[in-house]
Amino acid sequence: MIILAIALIVLGLFFFFGTSIGILRLPDFYSRAHAAGKADTLSTILIILGCALFHLHQAHYDLASFHVMAKLFVIIGFVFIGSPTATHAIMDAASAAGVEHWQKKKDKK
Amino acid sequence: MEFIINYFNYIIVVIIMMIGLWGMLALSNLVKKLISMAIFQTGIILFYISMGAKIDSSIPIIKQAYDEHHHPIHQVINNADYANPLTQILMLTAIVVGVATLGLGLALTQKVYSEHKSLNEDEILESLS
Amino acid sequence: MIFGLDALSLVLILICAILALYIKDLMGSVIVFGAYSFLMCVVWTCNAAVDVAFTEAAVGAGVGTVFLVSTIYNTRRVDTYRKNRVLKQLFMFLVVCVVGSILLKTITDLPHWGDAQAPANTHVSAYFLENSIADTHVPNVVTSVLADYRGFDTMFETCVVFVAFIAIFALLRTRKIPAKDLTPPHTPVDSLIIKVASHLMIPFMQLFALYVVAHGHYSPGGGFQGGVILGASLILLAISYDFERALEYLNEKKIILFVALGVLIYAGIGVICFFLGGNFLDYSVLSKILPATDTIMARSHAMLGVEVGVALTVMVSMYGIYLCLSSNGRMDKGI
Repeated sequence: MIILAIALIVLGLFFFFGTSIGILRLPDFYSRAHAAGKADTLSTILIILGCALFHLHQAHYDLASFHVMAKLFVIIGFVFIGSPTATHAIMDAASAAGVEHWQKKKDKK
Repeated sequence: MEFIINYFNYIIVVIIMMIGLWGMLALSNLVKKLISMAIFQTGIILFYISMGAKIDSSIPIIKQAYDEHHHPIHQVINNADYANPLTQILMLTAIVVGVATLGLGLALTQKVYSEHKSLNEDEILESLS
Repeated sequence: MIFGLDALSLVLILICAILALYIKDLMGSVIVFGAYSFLMCVVWTCNAAVDVAFTEAAVGAGVGTVFLVSTIYNTRRVDTYRKNRVLKQLFMFLVVCVVGSILLKTITDLPHWGDAQAPANTHVSAYFLENSIADTHVPNVVTSVLADYRGFDTMFETCVVFVAFIAIFALLRTRKIPAKDLTPPHTPVDSLIIKVASHLMIPFMQLFALYVVAHGHYSPGGGFQGGVILGASLILLAISYDFERALEYLNEKKIILFVALGVLIYAGIGVICFFLGGNFLDYSVLSKILPATDTIMARSHAMLGVEVGVALTVMVSMYGIYLCLSSNGRMDKGI
């Protein structure tokens, strides 16, 4: 069970790393917001899941640790609803303000 | 190296306070001055919290055992197990007072802007003289 | 008490603080300040100060950033006036270096970080840790000292929040200006996704905030944190829906009534203790009127009542300050 928890946390960290590289390297505001919003949410959910499983294992599966795991699932639900909505709000505002999309340059060879 | 581990928090506190102080004195934008004030305040809060921390201690919520009638069983409490609550309480008050001050500063900034149409200190001073 | 995470977050905090002052665009500056505030919460959690980190996360990184953004919305975002201040900034830097070096020299006189025998950690705080459960049956020592042993400070802090809201209201509140004079021009964005998401989030935020207020005796929480989360839920309502609709739920008269009601609850509990023969805010005499409690549990229950008053004032204050700041006092439209 600990191996599963560690694997989930490492996977979450991998996605976070991908988010950081995406924010730095992607060419356009909208694609950067994609990277920040989607991969960020996914990695947060994975890391919190890993922490929940780790806590279950540490506390030897007694009733209080299931209580804590239920609270962590509520946090996951909140992040799952809130974070993509925030990203949508940012991109909607940018589109209304007129931030232009990236065009692939024709003379790029 | 020992010096750094023992005093790292305090060194950073002094640096953060000096960054906040420099921002309040040297920057000319009113909102940046308010942000520097907030940075200064959080530096002070970090100082108090660092003073109250104890090595290998947990949060200041006492783990209490209860008997079958839900009365707390009397137990000896080792002070070194729990972090210092007194500094944290003073800082709770400080945070809330800090945000109230920030709100009031921002209201004054909006009033100044609606009068002079500028957030820059130099421009406002020139238009006043 | 993990030194590695603490040190790493402190280095990031330094970078954020310098960046927040360096960025010319005010919006970027405010967002970096939000990140700075959040990293401070991480450092404080590493130092075992979870109540303080909770409050700063709700207040500094949440509501404080919203206040700053609403001010930028109503004023200018980028400063275009340029005057040569390099000489003045260098002089200030020298002054700050002198002050900083004096402070750094005094650091060696301080006790080591984490010393359990430091003067700050003995004397009174040792008494609070040992006797909090025996005197008040409340395990969360922070809440018991805040609401009971140092109840005066908390009462005046609630008054400070109240006075700040009244001051902002008195400063900014004006008549409604006709639409053609509004700067900047307002284009309301009507988005279904944001409305549905806030439909889902706001009731649970408020329920969680009530849980935080009520459970403050046994877990990190209490009046301030719960009040700020309630205020943040109302701010979310005002942002996601129309400003007018949020004003329908809680209009200005109710706001002013509630903010005074919270302070009245706090001071009222103290005055009731007068009439029962004790000192001001001496909760143990309340056992005479509360049914089936002894003096110890009366203190615990009175703490809850006091926290409710604090939560009410703080909730309405945060919401009211947001309304005044984001509409520049006109109360017609927000961000």
